[in-house]
Amino acid sequence: MTIAGISRAVLTFIVLVFLHYTLRPLLGWRAPIDFLLLAVLTASVRMRPGVAAILGFCIGLIADSLSPDTMGAGALGMTVVGYAAAWLKAVFFADSLPLNALFFFAGKWVFDLLYFIAEHRLHGIELVQQLVIWSPLSAAATAIAGVIVLVLMRPLLEPSVA
Amino acid sequence: MARAGNANSRLDRTCLAVCAALSLIALVLPLPVRESVAGGMRRTVLAPMVMLQERAELSRRAFLAHDTLMRKRDSVALQGLTITALQVENDRLRDIIGLGSRLRWGFVPAEALHGSGVRDEFGVTLSAGSRAGVQRLSPVVAPEGLIGVVDNVDPTMSHAMMWTHPDFRVSAMAEDASAFGIVQANTTNGPGRYLMVMRGVPYRTSIKPGTMIVSSGLGGVYPRGIPLGQIVGETKTNESWARTYLIRPAVFPSNVSSVMILRLDRAAQGVDNVWSVGTVADSTVRRIVVAGDSMARRAALAEAQARQAAQDSARRDSLRAAGTPMVSQSDSGIAHAVPRPPVHHDSVHRAPARRDSTHPPTI
Repeated sequence: MTIAGISRAVLTFIVLVFLHYTLRPLLGWRAPIDFLLLAVLTASVRMRPGVAAILGFCIGLIADSLSPDTMGAGALGMTVVGYAAAWLKAVFFADSLPLNALFFFAGKWVFDLLYFIAEHRLHGIELVQQLVIWSPLSAAATAIAGVIVLVLMRPLLEPSVA
Repeated sequence: MARAGNANSRLDRTCLAVCAALSLIALVLPLPVRESVAGGMRRTVLAPMVMLQERAELSRRAFLAHDTLMRKRDSVALQGLTITALQVENDRLRDIIGLGSRLRWGFVPAEALHGSGVRDEFGVTLSAGSRAGVQRLSPVVAPEGLIGVVDNVDPTMSHAMMWTHPDFRVSAMAEDASAFGIVQANTTNGPGRYLMVMRGVPYRTSIKPGTMIVSSGLGGVYPRGIPLGQIVGETKTNESWARTYLIRPAVFPSNVSSVMILRLDRAAQGVDNVWSVGTVADSTVRRIVVAGDSMARRAALAEAQARQAAQDSARRDSLRAAGTPMVSQSDSGIAHAVPRPPVHHDSVHRAPARRDSTHPPTI
């Protein structure tokens, strides 16, 4: 990966993190878009799985610092999702938008599964409701947002032709 | 090559395992430790993000609050409008009730049903008819003054000609009866279109602006004392032998919704002191002041009389002592001669001897 490619990926990452702390609270949806996960996923597909796991861990831990009661749950979820995203991307090399949307959807849902199970805050029907209704909705919103981001930032994200 | 790939895979898996283990450790750390770690990150790495999130949430709250506040403001404004209308209606009804209590008898309350036609500027339909005792030529009044006269009566409804009608006339006078004339609507176009005019005021009579004009009772239709309006000023006309005055009407018919129709027997009886509450109060005050003045005058007169009587008595004594004829003064203050008492010359002559007695003897 070239310096220009790294710079573009870093810029995209920063934009997505920025959106996570500005647009997301502004929208205030019950099934929110997870721009932080999108940032980790879009960065992870350009990294080795180990580095993606470290990035996911760091981002997850930073996000967890806003809720110390469940600190570690987000880090665990991001670590696994980042590693898996990097490994799967290395395996499939999928570049189509629907596959990317599915990729974002699955990434968000898996993250929520890990997060809500690890944090031990929801139990019983509430946990099921969260994982079966709200998490898929949030994953769908995140997937749509991810596809929009990919379309808007394609010139930045595509590797330059030498 | 394959060995390098295996080493990388092993490194990746190690990274994953370490990160996962650290995450699990973070999950089971004591709360104070987690709190201190989280606080450190919030104050450093996450500080700008927290600030951004706070701003975004404030913006969202402001956006949502804006809608709520607008809704509240609109509803408050709507309530305010309703309250104003209710207050106006309340005042109006109070005035009507006040007029009814002053009239006491011989009136029919009615609603004025304004139309929207061109000719409705001159007339109004009233919600009371002959069954309620309304007859043709019954005066229609409001708490402020005269509105018009009934010109058509049905069993349940009637129609009134308002003072704005070109054919409307009422014999009028100044409130103090210093000037008389005929009041009608000002039919000229222009700024005075919705004013009244008072014609036929004798040229030698001048009415000051602000003077209240009331019906004079001449003609038999309108009883004396119903307010028509206030003098605005004199207006020039071709009638050089009489003055014409513009009058600001006491009642603008378009603003009237509730009215009183005076029955003919009540109109014939007169409506003295019904509209002249202010005048009655003024005259009462004037009478009290006059009474106070007369009492003071009487007291001053009594004091003067007492003083005069004392002076007279003193003078009478001295004159009696001097032997001069006395002049008495009656209660009316007119002096006149009294019969001269008999002159005692002796007493006149005795006086020096007495005076001398007061002086020490000279040697």
